Amino acid sequence: MTPALPSALNRPPDPVLLTSLASAAMGDGRGDLCYERESRGAPSEWGGVYGQLIRLTGPWTVVLTSAGATTDLPSCRVRSGPFPGGWGSEHRWKGLEVLQDLVAIPRPAGVVRRLRVRSESTSPVPLTFTSHFSPFLFPVLVEGIRPVEFVVQSLPEGVAIGNHGFGLRAAATVSPARLLLNGEVWEGGQYKGPVSEVALEHEVAVPARGSGEIRWQISGGLTRDLDKALGDSGPTIASPDELAARQAADDLQWTRGTPELEFPDAPELEVAYRTARAGLRRLYSEPADGMVGLVAGYPWYSAIWCRDLAIMLPALLWLGDFEWVARSLATVFRFQSRHSVRLLAGEPGELPMQLVPGPIFLYGTSDSTLRFPRVVEQMHRHTGDVSSVVEWAEALHRIVEWGRGRSDPTTGLLRHGGEAEAISQATASLARVRYGIDSPDTTIWDSADRRDHALDVQVLWWQALCSTARLLGHAADHDRRMTCEGQAAHLAETLGERYRWPEQRYLYDSLRGAIPVARVRPNALRAVSAGLLDPATARAVVERAAEGDLSTPWGVRSLSGNDPGYDARAYHEGQVWTIATAWAADAAFAVGQPERGLAYLRTIAARYVADGGLANECYLGDRPEPFNSCYLLGFSVAPFLRLLFERLWGIRVDGVETSVRVLPAFPLAWTSAKLTGLRLAQGRLNLEWTPGHLRVQWEGSCGLSVDTGNAVHPIAPGETAVLDLPSPPERS
Amino acid sequence: MAGDAIRLETEFGAHSLEALIWVAETVDASVYAPGSLVRTASGFRFSLANPPLRIGAFSGLRLGVDGTWVPPDSVRVRLGPQGSWRDSVRLSPSNPLELQAGSWTEFEADCPLPAGPGPVTIRLELSNVAIPPLVWMEIHDTMREVAPP
Repeated sequence: MTPALPSALNRPPDPVLLTSLASAAMGDGRGDLCYERESRGAPSEWGGVYGQLIRLTGPWTVVLTSAGATTDLPSCRVRSGPFPGGWGSEHRWKGLEVLQDLVAIPRPAGVVRRLRVRSESTSPVPLTFTSHFSPFLFPVLVEGIRPVEFVVQSLPEGVAIGNHGFGLRAAATVSPARLLLNGEVWEGGQYKGPVSEVALEHEVAVPARGSGEIRWQISGGLTRDLDKALGDSGPTIASPDELAARQAADDLQWTRGTPELEFPDAPELEVAYRTARAGLRRLYSEPADGMVGLVAGYPWYSAIWCRDLAIMLPALLWLGDFEWVARSLATVFRFQSRHSVRLLAGEPGELPMQLVPGPIFLYGTSDSTLRFPRVVEQMHRHTGDVSSVVEWAEALHRIVEWGRGRSDPTTGLLRHGGEAEAISQATASLARVRYGIDSPDTTIWDSADRRDHALDVQVLWWQALCSTARLLGHAADHDRRMTCEGQAAHLAETLGERYRWPEQRYLYDSLRGAIPVARVRPNALRAVSAGLLDPATARAVVERAAEGDLSTPWGVRSLSGNDPGYDARAYHEGQVWTIATAWAADAAFAVGQPERGLAYLRTIAARYVADGGLANECYLGDRPEPFNSCYLLGFSVAPFLRLLFERLWGIRVDGVETSVRVLPAFPLAWTSAKLTGLRLAQGRLNLEWTPGHLRVQWEGSCGLSVDTGNAVHPIAPGETAVLDLPSPPERS
Repeated sequence: MAGDAIRLETEFGAHSLEALIWVAETVDASVYAPGSLVRTASGFRFSLANPPLRIGAFSGLRLGVDGTWVPPDSVRVRLGPQGSWRDSVRLSPSNPLELQAGSWTEFEADCPLPAGPGPVTIRLELSNVAIPPLVWMEIHDTMREVAPP
């Protein structure tokens, strides 16, 4: 077993995460916005307010003072918990009842915090509230940097703080009686220099047998956006009740637009579906005008990471949020590089690695760009909207050209590696201080060196070619379509010839030059899911991955425990990742082993329960403990959601052809399953499964063809039909 | 690089270039404490106001000067000016250097240095316990002389 680190937090408290489309707040549930969590092996403080994907503050605490006595909120907490659209806590101190509400707000991006105090005293109670926080004002994606110098401006209602183009405003409904900077009383005006802490003291007289109230709002992000938002909203700090109600209504409306799943034989999967769906919703982000997507995770991946976004968007298509997918794709492709920009490691056709308002963006991964053609093609299938297909086909063609530039003409294999090094070299002459991570490669396991031809990157390249070919077909660009198809066929041939690892009955992880890299990783399962292997080889790969060195009771490791380089707490060299567990489920279903696939899905569902309704990024390789793990990651929920629809229900939609194929892969012991409200291009579909039968109800604007594997059935709008299903051995 | 900047501005607008400069300038001003590279009686020292690029637990570090590594037993580190010095050779996975955003660290090395006013390049490498590839930074600066006590 890996020894625990001396100061690692064994079991951190369940975090409180409040989000709006442009902001977030994090706390530990004890009353203040403080949240310490092990990160990269050591405790780190993540509490505070985030706006426009910029960390605005460190921990934000409130202290109450009355008649010479002082308390913080955690010390007098009675109870706390979420309410629709927000989070609240109740405190009792010196005969006072203190009620707190916190709500994340999108515009201006930040948080509203309210304290209401009720007194039973027969005389007035003078109270001082002191609000303490440290400014941060830097994008979350730049890990570990807290600027050393700020500009602070006092205001009648609080303070404004800036660092370059990033800014925050801390305002209150009760003007501060006193300001403190770095622990010293500050007379106000403007200050420029280091700021470790800002404190605002507010005096409130609570009347006899009466109540008093104070509200704060901390908001910010880009100063230019903050100024505009505050100009539009005016000086009033809105009621948390109204703000929370609005947030809750938006969430409810979104949830009502998504399908419902019922699995009477596996209620834990129903619960996991709702958990994963709610988790994905928390990641929705529209941090600035024209910038739409989902953040990768919390706490430290709260930026739009395009690799993660590409993995999440297919789940959104199944949840029916076509509009968010279209807007997200439009955002990402707006940053498709048309020229070589060495400063940002961008090459023509490439899509960014990450996006933050500014706009701040960077290229330089081997796989992010390759993931998008498949998403674009899937969007067209789900929405059936081909009105812009020519433009999309052109954008995908640019990706294919980018990939061709990195491919070996003889083998068709795409070469990766050296991306981070390129950034370092490009910026070498620009600064007297240089930084870098000695990371020679940038696949999904970007701290592992998997050069030159990692198998899963080749699978993505093959899928990119196939998806682009389909879209080019819709765009009637047949010459380019045939070129893509020919290249995909050539690549598939190479993959079939060069990656087989007979001794392990598995696939090599990569090729370094032409030399196979003999390491057992779950990434090989992607070739199974893509259908690139013959059935016997595919089954052998699934069987091998199920062995104990790779699969554990809490998920699938990033590297076999038998590998000499295995380290139980190394991010990509041994830790268990939920996304790898989802790959294993995907591959098991692909080879016709639904019971095994379901077992992996149940493993993921059990993690959600163990994580208190959240979804950790990864766990130690030798025990089911989160380590170096974001507590909510899109990687850990979206693939699970997708598999419920694509593999367990076995659905493939084609809105362009107005058809759907349904080949359920429920275990033989199951008796029923139900899916309600699946959005297709031309309407909504309800399905009820019992062994051998499928009841189809179609509420659409035109007829729908339903392919059940043994026959294609036309279903008229408004019609309900019961269709026969082939028995499992007849599935094709 | 000028060409890159022009292309960036042309393709993605002036805000993209402006924002890139905000980030670059903040990082430049927020990690290496300007002017902290000082010649001492036995070698040199310098300070960082933030961890370089990555937070977390670091099980090892090494320092180099103009391409030559300082012997590991001659390197010390402490958290903040009041912290206790720790020998770099005693850092390990079970006794790591723990850094979070805003951590102030000071590094000191016993290492004879060539005399002279020219700038030197200091290279610092840190090994994280959770993410294997090391993090590095290079400081190209002129050493200040310590004023006699």
